[in-house]
Amino acid sequence: MSWWRRLGDRGRLERELSAELADHIERHVADLVAAGVGESEARRRARLALGGVEQVKEACRDERGTRWLEDFSSDLRYAGRGLRQRPAFAAVAVLSLALGIGANTALFSIVDSLMRRSLPVREPERLVLLEGEWTNLIWEQIRDRQHELFDGAVAWSGADFDLAAGGEEKPVNGLFVSGSFFEVLGVPARLGRTILPQDDRRHSGTEGLVAVLSDGFWKRHYGGDPGVVGRTLHLNRAAFMIVGVAPPGFVGPEVGESFDVAVPIAAYPILQPPLDGLDDRNFWWLEVVGRRKPGQTLAGVTDALRAVQAPIRAATLPPRQTAEQLAGYLREPFQVIPAAAGTSVLRDRYRRPLFTILAVAFLVLLVACANVANLQLARGNERQHEFRLRLALGASRWRVARQLLTESILIAGLGAILGLAFALWGSRLLVRNFSSSGTLALDLPVDAGVLLFTGAVAVLTALLFGTLPACRAGRSDAEGAWREPARGAAGGSVGASNALIVVQVAISLVLLVAAGLFLRTLAAITNRELGFRSEGVLVVKLYAWQSGIALDQFVPLADRIRASVVELPGVASAGLSDVTPISGSSWREEFEIPGTGRGREQAFVHIVTRGWLSVYGTPLLAGRDILDSDHAESRPVALINRAFARTFFGDKDPLGQTIRTTGIYLAPMEVVGVVEDAVYRDLREDHAPTIYVPFAQGMKNVTAPQASLSIRAAAGPPSRLTSAVVAAIARIDPRVTLRCRTLSDQIDAALVRERLVAMLSGFFGALALMLAAIGLYGVTSHAVARRRGEIGVRMALGADAPRVVRMVLGRVLGFVLLGVLAGSAVSAWASRFVTSLLYGLEPGDPLTIAGAASLLFAITLLAAYLPARRAARIDPAKVLRES
Amino acid sequence: MAAPDDARMDLPQGTLDLLILKVIGLGPLHGYAIAQRLEQISRGVVDVPQGSLYPALHRLENRGLLEAEWKDSETGRQAKFYRLTRRGRTQLEAETASWKRLADAVGLILRATPEEAR
Repeated sequence: MSWWRRLGDRGRLERELSAELADHIERHVADLVAAGVGESEARRRARLALGGVEQVKEACRDERGTRWLEDFSSDLRYAGRGLRQRPAFAAVAVLSLALGIGANTALFSIVDSLMRRSLPVREPERLVLLEGEWTNLIWEQIRDRQHELFDGAVAWSGADFDLAAGGEEKPVNGLFVSGSFFEVLGVPARLGRTILPQDDRRHSGTEGLVAVLSDGFWKRHYGGDPGVVGRTLHLNRAAFMIVGVAPPGFVGPEVGESFDVAVPIAAYPILQPPLDGLDDRNFWWLEVVGRRKPGQTLAGVTDALRAVQAPIRAATLPPRQTAEQLAGYLREPFQVIPAAAGTSVLRDRYRRPLFTILAVAFLVLLVACANVANLQLARGNERQHEFRLRLALGASRWRVARQLLTESILIAGLGAILGLAFALWGSRLLVRNFSSSGTLALDLPVDAGVLLFTGAVAVLTALLFGTLPACRAGRSDAEGAWREPARGAAGGSVGASNALIVVQVAISLVLLVAAGLFLRTLAAITNRELGFRSEGVLVVKLYAWQSGIALDQFVPLADRIRASVVELPGVASAGLSDVTPISGSSWREEFEIPGTGRGREQAFVHIVTRGWLSVYGTPLLAGRDILDSDHAESRPVALINRAFARTFFGDKDPLGQTIRTTGIYLAPMEVVGVVEDAVYRDLREDHAPTIYVPFAQGMKNVTAPQASLSIRAAAGPPSRLTSAVVAAIARIDPRVTLRCRTLSDQIDAALVRERLVAMLSGFFGALALMLAAIGLYGVTSHAVARRRGEIGVRMALGADAPRVVRMVLGRVLGFVLLGVLAGSAVSAWASRFVTSLLYGLEPGDPLTIAGAASLLFAITLLAAYLPARRAARIDPAKVLRES
Repeated sequence: MAAPDDARMDLPQGTLDLLILKVIGLGPLHGYAIAQRLEQISRGVVDVPQGSLYPALHRLENRGLLEAEWKDSETGRQAKFYRLTRRGRTQLEAETASWKRLADAVGLILRATPEEAR
């Protein structure tokens, strides 16, 4: 019989055991009586011979091998009863652990899916990534050699496609894939077929333009209609035939991104006409992944690639390069890395914030453990009598300690179950917050890995907070069992509990300091002087290349659009530009200033129309604004910002000076105005030298007919203007594709990381503060209860209430102060590791540390004051009577 | 005939299981009968404490060397009868053989004369 069956049949086994032993005794008695012994004497001898029925039973039970489980389950029931009798303790302990475990599990599941989990493809461990991004020509060279180099290779690139035929865009996440993409990755179609090599041919494949939908897009957009294969889908106005649907679970090769529609790489010229994706030797846009042959090592792949590097490089030399640059191009070695978990730009972007928050969550769990340990210790003091009694009745020390550990496991287990629920909810909430920038698609299943992690954390916490109280209980002294249930007899655990207070306060302070640093960082960034007014502006991106509008037609078209939008009711001003601030796009240009003798310098470039500066509210400091008279054929002019003037002209008057760009785009320009500094690309950057060029002059030299129209609303939220603006533009030219977003949203999206880190650390900091307060309240309460007699005597001898309060507080606050000092030191040291996440303050910012320390001190003082005041209300007469 | 008390010996470690297997190997028995049979066969030389008999029986049953069945006994009362399983019989043979080898070896050593030891 296996031990779990024996466990299940416990009742029957017990009955049989009793019957068997009873039978033995009856037979022995019968034999003795038959030999002439008296009945009662016979019974006595039979019992004696067997050696005690209960002892034999115990020995037999031990033989079942289920003893530990039986003990455990009875301990568990006992612990459960104990917790039910103390609902306040149970609630605080379970809830604080649940928050700690939940936070850790939630972050673990995110880190796990972002950093570690393999792609849902065939044998992902054999995939290797060719580091860097590649031109199509290089990819074709590799593709043609793929079977000698690898067991197949694939290339892809993400892109946005537009489902609308002009007007406000309906974007979908597109994916350009090589013909063998699905086949080499081992991803079969769930419906129809995947993209095949014959689809990925220049000037369209054998069946024309084809597309494969993702499972999610198929369900969302087509309601999971099985008749979707063969239907037409318009992407950037080109008609594609849907040939199949990818399997559920496969959302693309990049972690955190998900595709809606995949098309062959060869369709690039049709989808993105102004750019020559297939033949431009300077356009690096493809990711390349190969599959190792069985038995081939990473080094083997690298060697094979480097063997063919020279011909591949020589066949794909980029144009317009110096000899030095070309030599570098030929020399640069191919490098491969494992790609089992896919690739991701998010990994690098979120690694530091995620690990910071993970560390914070772990500290919260430590605080929670310290808290529960302290509450357990205090309870242990009350239960000294019980422990002594059990020891005196023959329980081993280990048995008593095990009872207490079981309680800890029960608490941790309940905390883990509740924590898992928190984690499920919290991790999804977190991902939603991360993805307000529209970029994060993470699958967060509760898989074996996550459950294992939660289980491990639960066991770890149980050991962390359960060991100390268990040892303490095991060391109880059986001698005292018959004495009065002693007050003040458990002096030993006071030291441990005070040490725990120091640790808890120190960790809580670290968490509070982290919260302070990140909240102040967020405040510093959002409150920084931008150089423009971000509220009240609607940004409309105009894309004309999808509809084949040429650049020289686009500039006057864009100007007509601007002129008509300015006339709309509710619009205060409007201006065109190539890029907008904090949009993720930027343009940097090399230039020199003739006659200064300085070499080439770099500056940001804004290409703007009249009215753009007034939309943004950036003040003109000297000279004039850009005018309508600055057209394509007039003399090239430029405005510069204050930083530019200071850096390159110093005390000289910049007006009338000449700037000559040494790049290929802009002609020599005369400086006609100076404007105030404004943030260009990144909210964390200092103001950089910036040049403003008239739209009509600058747009001659851009590659694509696209621009942004910034519109200032006269009053109220700018998003209200959207429909009127979209309608007005459609009246002028319905072919133009539009993307509308307010400037505030654009800036918010750039702050996702900062906001998230501040929000989470703030939450955890508050949690730690609360736990510290609860812990201190509990410990002080127990100290007061333990010293009731002493306090009573002191009061009888004339100590007044304030004196008692001072006495109680004095003991506790010493340890709090110690914890605050330790915590300050640790914070000052540890904050160095998050320097790159901070803005506007130094890592060990003394003001933040002092503020956090004062807050923590004040709250813990309050928490300790409540029981201290209760101590002062002790009635000495009553206490003295009791003792 | 029972040996005087001071001549009784404690069982060497681990031999109780072998003796139980042997006794039960002669035919199905209940616990009390096993105790009596052990006492009779050893002629009272070996002291089998009844208290350790039952844990040993349960241990052997749990290891699958014995199986037990409740059935009517000669007194008319139900009793738990133990019987050897196939594994139990194999175990009994193996242990008997190794016990004999050990006993022979120990006997040889004890019989050794000074000449042989040289």
